[in-house]
Amino acid sequence: MQRDKSAKLLQNLGLALFLAPALILIGIYIIWPIIMSFDLSLYEWDGVSPQKLYLGLKNWKDLLVDSIFWHAFGNNIKFIFLSIIIEMPIAILIAVLLDRGGKRFDAFKSLFYLPMLMSSVAIGVLFKYIYDPNFGLISGILSFLHLDSLNQDWLGDPNVAFYSVVAVICWQYIPFYMIFFIAALSNIPQELYEAAKIDGATQQQYFWRIELPLLTPSIKTACILSLIGSLKYFDLIYVMTEGGPSNATELMATYMYKNAFASFKMGYGSTIASAMFLIITTAGIFAYFVTRRKEE
Amino acid sequence: MSVLSFCLASVVIYSDRAYSASGATKKIVFWHITTDEVGKKMIQNQVNRFLKAHPDFKVEVVPLQNDSFKTKLKIAMGSNQAPDVFVTWGGGPFFEYVRAGKVKDITAYMNENNYKNRFVEAAFGPITYNKKIWAVPVEGAGVSLVWYNKEIFKKYNLKVPTTYDEFLNIVKTLKSKGIIPITLANKTKWPGCFWYWNLVNKLGGASAFEKAAERTGGSFADQPFIKAGEMLQELVKMGAFPKGFNGLDWDTGQSRMLLYTGKAAMELMGTWQIPIVKAEKKEFYEKKLDFFPFPNIKGGKGDPTSLVGMASSNYYAVTTSCKYPKEAFNMIQYLIDDQAVKERIDYGQIPPVKGLKFTDPMLQKVYNIVTKAKTIQLWWDQYLPPQLAETHKDIVQSLFGLTITPKAAAEKMEKAAKDYFKK
Repeated sequence: MQRDKSAKLLQNLGLALFLAPALILIGIYIIWPIIMSFDLSLYEWDGVSPQKLYLGLKNWKDLLVDSIFWHAFGNNIKFIFLSIIIEMPIAILIAVLLDRGGKRFDAFKSLFYLPMLMSSVAIGVLFKYIYDPNFGLISGILSFLHLDSLNQDWLGDPNVAFYSVVAVICWQYIPFYMIFFIAALSNIPQELYEAAKIDGATQQQYFWRIELPLLTPSIKTACILSLIGSLKYFDLIYVMTEGGPSNATELMATYMYKNAFASFKMGYGSTIASAMFLIITTAGIFAYFVTRRKEE
Repeated sequence: MSVLSFCLASVVIYSDRAYSASGATKKIVFWHITTDEVGKKMIQNQVNRFLKAHPDFKVEVVPLQNDSFKTKLKIAMGSNQAPDVFVTWGGGPFFEYVRAGKVKDITAYMNENNYKNRFVEAAFGPITYNKKIWAVPVEGAGVSLVWYNKEIFKKYNLKVPTTYDEFLNIVKTLKSKGIIPITLANKTKWPGCFWYWNLVNKLGGASAFEKAAERTGGSFADQPFIKAGEMLQELVKMGAFPKGFNGLDWDTGQSRMLLYTGKAAMELMGTWQIPIVKAEKKEFYEKKLDFFPFPNIKGGKGDPTSLVGMASSNYYAVTTSCKYPKEAFNMIQYLIDDQAVKERIDYGQIPPVKGLKFTDPMLQKVYNIVTKAKTIQLWWDQYLPPQLAETHKDIVQSLFGLTITPKAAAEKMEKAAKDYFKK
């Protein structure tokens, strides 16, 4: 008995020892900064000076009535919706087509994955030129096709800018989900197709009866990923529009960045960051439980 | 992939920095924002002269893009990773660092051998705080002027305007000829603000802004501010600016491309336009580029010679974390010694140094205008505290986007100022 106990203890100690490096790193680089930013959210601080002014919950109260923050939050919600309904179907479609093609389409898999390999900043700069209403690729193509009337002020018009940016982000992320779904499709046992073939199923029936149902868990996971990604999205928007014009493309993260780093309001920036943390965590947990319950 | 690109990036950055002498033990880290090839090389040469005189030193010169520099500096300052020498515009954001005790007081160095006397008096305004000097004026005068394409003006028989009405007529004529009258890249907001600031300056005089910003009896909702917004929106409605200006990026040259290709005729921009155009498109600089000061407005209170900008556009400051402040200051002196002044003039700058003569008539013309100016209104976004400056820039961008009325814009700014200063 005594021996059993000490053996168990030793085993636990061993486990703890192996986990410790990871735990310490996660603690220092993930958990501690989160705690720090919650702490900072209680202060007024310019980010530079040694003194901080304790405000209590004032920043949080301000946040609740900050119309730009809620506008940005609304944009985030719109962004989640758009990215899921645009990215998922296209990614599934490409994945299924590439999967059906088998080895012959391997080259396309790499080719279609290219956007994912570029850094967001590079994509942002690239599309800034593509969207340039005077010299850009899009305006060039439109004028070549004599469709000048369709030419828009892609990034400068508050009514258009948001969709222009969303289109680029979808372009960037569809490859990610495509690979995700290709991996899931390759897990579908070959026998199912063979059985279906014997039953005389058509290509369409393959999709609706075999592939889509078996992809469902992956689609759910992809949606959660997309949801969380959309809530904290930042880089491309910042490079392309800085959240402008007139806050049209403002997301929570760009607004946080601007407050913390451009306006020297580190305390309020931390409040936004902490609010984002709460919102994203809640949304993530909620989505996880909703999708899990349906699976059962 | 991101690890790979990070490694690649660090290799690139590292090799870019690895030019200092080997064996040196004392190190100065130096951040600046001159990123065009000619300017980068010029600064490196000046640093090299310092290294020659100080073989025991090495200098890590880091050129950074204008807007990313601002963020990087702030993070570095906040996390005690500050460079030893950094570039600054002076004014509000710079004084935040001064107040935080991050910047070395160099008054004593400046007074040594009367070194201060080398510079034009007006250059010290934006870097004097608590009667102490916190940075060295180095890079040339930066005032906003209207740059235009001589060839286009000649073709349509247009004369340089002296009044705003004449200017509006030019805009109308150019518009009718199918030329974009004024190019503008307003994604980063400050290029558009130049219009607003110049209009306010001409309408209300320098005191209008200063009274409002200092809260000494002025208000951002006063008449000049509303009127400036109206005049600005009038320009927008006339189609004076290119399509999509609120989405175009000045940093990546999207406004200048229109100028170079002759699609647009004018741009309101700082005098740094000279070295940039010279570096980017030399024949355009030599044959087509010219400028005129912002036209005076009939009935406006602004002094006819007044300008918006500063007598020196970039200053260099030493941080308190610098281990060798004396040598760091000495290194800055190499950036503006007699040889450097020559180099800077060749580059296209007007150094903030007394008694200059120029072979380039364009520079001479700017120098004359700057020295003649009775007031030079500092860029508002450098004058105002950063938080208010950001709000202001957002408001002006909305004015350009026609999503806010001039009156509402002025009131919004006044409210922001009230909220800020009440604290």
